[in-house]
Amino acid sequence: MSSVSPFNQPPALDHYRTLFAERTTNVDAVGADALTALREASLDRFFASGFPTQRDEAWKYTSLRRLETRRFTLADAPPVATEDVRWIPDCGYRIVLVNGRMLPTLSTPAPQPPGLTILSLAQWMQHSPGEVAEFLSQSAFAAPGPFENLNGAFSDDGIVIDIADGTTLDRPLYIVHHWRASKPSVSQMAHPRIIVRAGRQSQCSIVTHYTGDDAAESLTNAWVSFDLAAGAHVEHLRLQEEGSRTFHIYSSQVRLARDARFTSHDFALGASLGRSSTLVQLAESGASVNLSGLFAPTATQHLDTHIRIDHAAAHTQSQQDYRGIAAGRGRGVFNGKVIVQPHAQKIDAKQSNRNLLLSATAEIDSRPELEIYADDVKCSHGATTGQLDPVSLFYLRSRGLGEEQARALLIRAFAHSMLSTVKVGPVRTWLEERVQRRFDLSASGIS
Amino acid sequence: MLVIDNLKVRVGGKEVLKGLNLTVNAGEVHAIMGPNGSGKSTLAQVLAGRDGYEVTGGSVTYQSRDLLPLAPEERAREGVFLAFQYPVEIPGVNNVYLLKAGLNAIRKHRGEPEVDAFEFLALVRDKMKLMQMDESFLNRAVNEGFSGGEKKRNEILQMAILEPKLALLDETDSGLDIDALRIVSNGVNSLRRADRAIVLVTHYQRLLDYIEPDHVHVLSGGRILKSGDKSLALELEKRGYDWVKEDPAAA
Repeated sequence: MSSVSPFNQPPALDHYRTLFAERTTNVDAVGADALTALREASLDRFFASGFPTQRDEAWKYTSLRRLETRRFTLADAPPVATEDVRWIPDCGYRIVLVNGRMLPTLSTPAPQPPGLTILSLAQWMQHSPGEVAEFLSQSAFAAPGPFENLNGAFSDDGIVIDIADGTTLDRPLYIVHHWRASKPSVSQMAHPRIIVRAGRQSQCSIVTHYTGDDAAESLTNAWVSFDLAAGAHVEHLRLQEEGSRTFHIYSSQVRLARDARFTSHDFALGASLGRSSTLVQLAESGASVNLSGLFAPTATQHLDTHIRIDHAAAHTQSQQDYRGIAAGRGRGVFNGKVIVQPHAQKIDAKQSNRNLLLSATAEIDSRPELEIYADDVKCSHGATTGQLDPVSLFYLRSRGLGEEQARALLIRAFAHSMLSTVKVGPVRTWLEERVQRRFDLSASGIS
Repeated sequence: MLVIDNLKVRVGGKEVLKGLNLTVNAGEVHAIMGPNGSGKSTLAQVLAGRDGYEVTGGSVTYQSRDLLPLAPEERAREGVFLAFQYPVEIPGVNNVYLLKAGLNAIRKHRGEPEVDAFEFLALVRDKMKLMQMDESFLNRAVNEGFSGGEKKRNEILQMAILEPKLALLDETDSGLDIDALRIVSNGVNSLRRADRAIVLVTHYQRLLDYIEPDHVHVLSGGRILKSGDKSLALELEKRGYDWVKEDPAAA
């Protein structure tokens, strides 16, 4: 961890101190002090660490210099009409957030199905800040990092999703976060917090979709927690297609109890700088996690995928399967780490990262890591980075396909294995179309 | 249709073809035989336009045009087809998609409209029957998980659908059992036409029991040493390749 360094960071940190001081809260409500104290503690921890630097192992390949120099203001709440927000139709129970705030008017109006409770954090904070403070202080099970602390200090809305024991949701929960700029010259930031608690033997599918446009600069600093009780099955699909002027920082923590199963598919396509960090704690035996994803930086995008899986109990399984495709001057980072604790025997951990470089100026840094302290474990990892296979390219061209068409086809084929496992139909269709469009451009050398 | 004149080709700094001459007319089937390392596959690859083969001399004229400056896809659209010795597995690319994309690229080049989806499927089904291929081939990825025989049958299926003018078959018989060899040969024979030329590159005479060539050539040391009719293949089968090299009559 980097230490407090007053010489390279003070203006940036001062800015956040000023913002924090200027913020008004509803001090009259019961327990407001507790919430304020929680936020102050988060802010103090953030100041103690500062923004991560590249000396920090977890941020070795990702520089935050550009982000640090920005003076983001807390996002305002401009009026939003339905047509201002893009979402994928028919994806399930829709929950819309704009500039970090939940908007019930744009969300699915239908009554919530039995066993599902969706709460707006802002409303809850308004009515019972003391309760929220207590809830939030218990909801983090891993030590928060700098951005999670920043979120903790500034977050004033988000969603709490509670799925009751034994509940199987008939449709996915679809959470859309959208940016809407009031002034192009103002850089705004939002700190949405999402907490999912899946009860015993419950099953659900959750889609989180981060989208926006290029109207103004922004920082999305999302913090998402998944808490899976015994036997719960949660599938998470994450679509990151922020605008090209957005910094996107996504921090998630996943905790799994006995026999719980967490599956995720992470698609990082947008943003100027994107970071997806997933910390998984396999806390009890029988728990299993299956993470997969595709990151595809192009132009000057920087997309970082950071994973840490902690096998804290025996008889737990983990699987990581990530692919990167970098074009233009795009840069991708994959850092997946598996830790097997000393008492955690009979572990099965697999990790795979395959990358494709489409230009001489593209770069992908792949860093699979295993830290094994137990002896009866099965761990494997493999990482490859290469260019399009010239023999495949020749084969397709020898059948009459033009060079660009052949390249596009091979790139899409490489991405395809990541899309084919997506079970939510409308999302898969949306992704296929998105990926096809993007790589037709890459193949023709436009991006 | 194809005139190769004194062709010299270097691969990885080594001269593999050292002045090869060959003329192939429409309607003919030529077999090019020779020991391993004689340059047979190099010839096939150079004609199809693969990178990494440096032509240092001579010329290749195809339908009165210089073939060598053309990109692989331009050659394919002009009617050159190479059945690969080692067909490439391409996960994620559907077999039928490739067939259709290839056929449409060729049709577009000829100024014809894209193929109708129904007609296309009927055509594919018809040719699959000829190659005794299972329906499941339709939805599998290109050559992925195919057995050696399935891959070779798939090559001939592609050829049957793309209908080339000049078909180059590179060691299509290698790795085939007797049944697969019969199916592949049937496929090739059904494609013999007065306006189409077929060049078989093979190490063994066995294939020629099924596909009867009009001309047989012996390629050795980067040159055609001897040409003849199908009886030459039988003689090679009996006597091996060495006698050709020593034969003073070889030119």
